Amino acid sequence: MKWSVIYKREMMEYARNIKWIWVPIVFFIFGIMDQITMYYLPKIIDATGGMPEGAEINIPTPPPAEAFFLSINEMNSLGILIIGLISMGLIAGELKNGVYELVLSKPVKFANYVTAKWAALSTLVLVSLFTGLLAGWYYTNILFGDLGFDKFLTAFLIYGIYLIFFITIAVLVNTWFKSPGMVLFLSILLIVLVNLLTSAFGHILTWSPGHISSYISTYLFTGTLTGEMWGAIGTTIVLIIGMLFAAVEILKRKEL
Amino acid sequence: MSLMDVQGLTKAFDGKTVVSDVSFELQPGTCVALLGPNGAGKTTTLRMLAGFSRPTDGQISFDQQSLSEDIRQYTGYLPQFPSFHNWMSGLEFLVYVGQLSYLTKAEATERANELLKRVGLEDAKKQRIKKYSGGMKQRLGIAQALINDPKLIILDEPVSALDPIGRREVLDLMRELKKESTILFSTHILNDAEEVSDELLMLHNGELVEHGSLEKLNHLDQTGKIQLNFAVYPENLESELENLSSIQHVRPVGQGVEVVVRDMDEARKEILQLVTVNEWPLTKFEQAKTTLEDVFMKVVNS
Repeated sequence: MKWSVIYKREMMEYARNIKWIWVPIVFFIFGIMDQITMYYLPKIIDATGGMPEGAEINIPTPPPAEAFFLSINEMNSLGILIIGLISMGLIAGELKNGVYELVLSKPVKFANYVTAKWAALSTLVLVSLFTGLLAGWYYTNILFGDLGFDKFLTAFLIYGIYLIFFITIAVLVNTWFKSPGMVLFLSILLIVLVNLLTSAFGHILTWSPGHISSYISTYLFTGTLTGEMWGAIGTTIVLIIGMLFAAVEILKRKEL
Repeated sequence: MSLMDVQGLTKAFDGKTVVSDVSFELQPGTCVALLGPNGAGKTTTLRMLAGFSRPTDGQISFDQQSLSEDIRQYTGYLPQFPSFHNWMSGLEFLVYVGQLSYLTKAEATERANELLKRVGLEDAKKQRIKKYSGGMKQRLGIAQALINDPKLIILDEPVSALDPIGRREVLDLMRELKKESTILFSTHILNDAEEVSDELLMLHNGELVEHGSLEKLNHLDQTGKIQLNFAVYPENLESELENLSSIQHVRPVGQGVEVVVRDMDEARKEILQLVTVNEWPLTKFEQAKTTLEDVFMKVVNS
């Protein structure tokens, strides 16, 4: 199948330019850094001379659910930035340097070309996210107390959908502009807009993808998936499919 | 029976017409040069034929089939400035594009090795494309265009950017290829067109200004040229010559004149008569063949 030929080539590229090494490592660091800092903060303050006499700050130990959510929070800011960086040239880069001329002069369907690249990037990001959240979950258990593995797995699956949503935004923007810098800027702008609109009109947009991370936080405390969570997941999946269609159609109509 | 039939091909970008009403047929087994100055619309035409850009108007039919089928499986295309995935080796890249052209991995590998040998890249096949020279990339570009054994090979300026040695290699390769396939290539260099092509399409400002075989175009310009040189430049030379009915135009060139004639036989007789009568010290009488360059300039300027 030609889809898998493109997918495999993309995977090979991630291996050659060592994305398969550095992206999981970076996500691993994002996954554990908050728990570690928070746990060692009192010791760090002591080691650097301690608090002035009389001053007393009581840092409460967060419950495990909250501690684990710190990992997702990091993914939501730094993780998004890294994904933006690795996806900005996904298609735009090939359109810009001209490799697409050789690939698309072969009988390759635009849909295969776009979705295979999208799937390859999603694979890389999901594996990295899994590494990062697993590490975060592990340190949460060691340092802050027990949190069920099922909680980790559910949070990973749902948050994974949100990151794929962001990847799809980036893929769509990739078909508009040939400049990777512009693609990065617009992808991040769009995801920020989604989140801003969600916070501004949160009571109406209860199914917005922008709610997913806060719903995960609630889930980690209560252990139940609400109807709103399912709604948000459904909307996100529909938007992903819609944006993929749009990306293929735009590329088809584009004067390459 | 034609291999490709192009009717009324037109392309406009933002209302500006780049290719206008171009129609021609490609016969199987021929090598056709698409000739024209820079900006004539050659690349745009070839990109439409290779399936990259949709014609604004017009029809392209391939092998009697309509364009509803993906003709890319029968064509091989070399862009003017081919780019590759530079981190791949030449062999890996060819196998990749081969698999994109309905070959299995084993078939693609076999074909890739065969082509690498043919274009002289066998020793470099495991090297990263990043390390290839310009000429090597051009040869790899030709190899990738041949990977699916195409019925029509479309080459955009295949030799223009190469040094003389690279140019020679590619022209030799094209001469070999035309024995087994049909080639359409663009160039702005008349020499290259004359060297390998059987037929010429001349494009100027997006319009097809001439179409025909090399011989036909060479004979297109019936008016010939005669070059006359004299030991001493005679007085009244130009006015005397211009009085002859068979002569169209006289232009001084160096030691003599260049005469554009209406009828070669008549002109030869009259000029030699004039030389004898006036006892002009003629040192050179040369009948010059109209070159493709002249035809092109004439066609373009008319």
